[in-house]
Amino acid sequence: MFQLSKVETLIAQDQKFLFTLASYVTILVIYINLNAFQYAVLGIVASILYFLINGIFLGHAFFDKEDTFFRLMFGGLLLIMLLGFVGWLAVIIYNLDATRFTVVLFVVTTICSLSNRKVKYRNAT
Amino acid sequence: MPLSEQGRRRLLRCSEILYLFLIAFSFYLLILSRTGEARTVWEVLHPAFIPVLFVASSILIPILLTSEKTAYKLLFIIVHSILIHSFFSVIFPAGDLSGQQGALGKTRLIYDNVVLHGADPLPFRALQSEIFKRFGGANFQASLSVIFARMLSIDVIWVHLFLVPVLWGVFVPIAAFLTTKALSEDDKVSVLSGLLISVFPYATYFGAISVPQSLGYIFFFYSLYFMLKYLTSNDSKTTALMLAFSFFALLAHYLTGVMAFSLLFLTIAFKAYASEKKTSSKIARLTLAISIIISAILLPLSLIYLRFFGAFQIFFTLDKFYELPRGDIIGLFLLGELIHGFDFKTILLIVIGPAIALLWMMYLLYRFKRNSTAKFRVHMYFLFTAFLIILIDYRILKVFMKGVEELFNEERLWVFRDFIAAPFVALAIFAGISSLKAFLKARSPPNLSIDSSKTIRACSKVPSKRVVPRVFGLLFTGLLFTSTVFFPLLLAGWMTTSLSAAYPQVAPLQTTWYELEAVKYIEEKTNEKYVVICDVWIMYAGEMIVGFGNPSAYYFESSKTGHDLLVNMTREPSPQWMLSAMNYTNTTVAYFIVSEPRLGTDAFNNVVSKARDTLTVFHVTGDGKLYVFSYRKG
Repeated sequence: MFQLSKVETLIAQDQKFLFTLASYVTILVIYINLNAFQYAVLGIVASILYFLINGIFLGHAFFDKEDTFFRLMFGGLLLIMLLGFVGWLAVIIYNLDATRFTVVLFVVTTICSLSNRKVKYRNAT
Repeated sequence: MPLSEQGRRRLLRCSEILYLFLIAFSFYLLILSRTGEARTVWEVLHPAFIPVLFVASSILIPILLTSEKTAYKLLFIIVHSILIHSFFSVIFPAGDLSGQQGALGKTRLIYDNVVLHGADPLPFRALQSEIFKRFGGANFQASLSVIFARMLSIDVIWVHLFLVPVLWGVFVPIAAFLTTKALSEDDKVSVLSGLLISVFPYATYFGAISVPQSLGYIFFFYSLYFMLKYLTSNDSKTTALMLAFSFFALLAHYLTGVMAFSLLFLTIAFKAYASEKKTSSKIARLTLAISIIISAILLPLSLIYLRFFGAFQIFFTLDKFYELPRGDIIGLFLLGELIHGFDFKTILLIVIGPAIALLWMMYLLYRFKRNSTAKFRVHMYFLFTAFLIILIDYRILKVFMKGVEELFNEERLWVFRDFIAAPFVALAIFAGISSLKAFLKARSPPNLSIDSSKTIRACSKVPSKRVVPRVFGLLFTGLLFTSTVFFPLLLAGWMTTSLSAAYPQVAPLQTTWYELEAVKYIEEKTNEKYVVICDVWIMYAGEMIVGFGNPSAYYFESSKTGHDLLVNMTREPSPQWMLSAMNYTNTTVAYFIVSEPRLGTDAFNNVVSKARDTLTVFHVTGDGKLYVFSYRKG
């Protein structure tokens, strides 16, 4: 748990948008894997990274007073809700093919990163 | 000799390792139980599974009562929870034969990009019904399943089957923990509550099937937690999260959403009462009473107004009073659906949890009545009122309304009741254990010791210096045994036995491997639009592979035309009916699927021998138990 809290702090700080960029890279990997290889292992690894980064962003943004474990869990739950909501919007507006699915991931990452930034700046001031 | 701190830590680690090993072994046994042809999970479940699960649970409960880190305890509960909610998904090839297969059929349409603007392919009717359709939980759940399936690059059937068991397994125990902690601030009783949510059979069942409502229950539970927080907090984040979870409960399913908003209204009323009672007590009480009534009637009234969306015709009626015998009416009021054909054991397992919770709530309220400054007083009153509202709503829907069953079974309200009951059951049990330990501690002879972690140990030697009466010694040993051994075994037994009421004992034959194989084979080998004449079971299998109501791969049973064609084909299989099906659906190839377990051996042999004369055998599978015949136009 000690190691996890270190990782969490590092990701939540998001120096120079490093982890936001990492999240965008995982989206690219997921997109390429979906259209070219369809390797489940690659998809699982990329998804875990995606969930870890964005879950920590959201946990940090909304539950900064909670313990690490609950922050991660709440962050994960909020991320699932956000993915479902943006995906639902995509479905009712048109559909959720591979391209729109990638747009959904992109939008969700952007929202998570901005939420995290907002809290970071608020705490700094 | 009392154990040292180090020895105790070592014993705890050993228990944890043993528990994890037993849980891993249980997963292995569950996978070994996987079958392609069964009616219930109990037919094929490995005989060692339940004993191993019981032992694992018996080890887990004492771990929860130690001073181990809360996060670890919750992780152990999560693993246990995922295991007990995965029976259908692991054992059956296509999960439970229920609404979850229909939900998968709709998800498949979105996954395969067959439809636009949502999973319901029915034609446009009116604007308000379109809004209702889009907000219907099928789209939300489908989009979540499709996103996960694309992220992981695995077929949507796997994601769909495990979506709710995993999400429920992870998030519901945490919600139970948080809700109980909001009532007691005690970590041990809260983790016990996270585990005890699995003693409620109906909640376990909904955690095991992937339907939109199950997702709604999860969001509802979190909205309930944030409501409790909101009662004593003015934090804007708490308010935002309470509203967000209520909204998502609505997005996932109508019932969970309306219940969440009913309780949201109640929360606001309780909070307003708390601030107004100092200035004007009578008006505040009156406002609160009116608010409680509004919260209670919100669900029944909202169901009536569903007709505005052109969706369902639900109305109030006294028909049941005139139609049913008086005994049945009284039975419905007291036990609801349980009066219809449930055995005593199942009834007991379903009602015992809520009954304990209700009694404990009443006891706590009695105590709080004498202490107006008690810390969790408002929370207790709120939850007690919410519990009563759910009990009342269930009876209104069950006895005074008609048409509700078109939308959902009234018994689905039991899950809300169970969510509120779980923390109180944990509080009651924990209070029982604590009282017993306090009693033992107060009366323990000098060389019978109770350690700091509240784990009671007894030195086996009879005291030499001080003579303890034999009767007292026996009584003491009995109580000691009760608190340290009997309670964990009793709770583990209760949790394990509850599974027998959660998973049905009687069911039709589940979708078999060869039914799935047949519909996959047709889909792979046909490059054009086609129609399939089949029974409802094949139709479910077909919808899971090609999507619900897919216009390019039409599975024909649910309509009257489809049913008539099936009856004609089973009586006198001939190209004439195949042509009718093709003309009806504007296709050029038709298939007829018949399987032995669904039709019966004699009828199956008869149909197959007749069909062989006039139709082409397209595929045979399931060791000859399923035949696919084809006929092409022209």
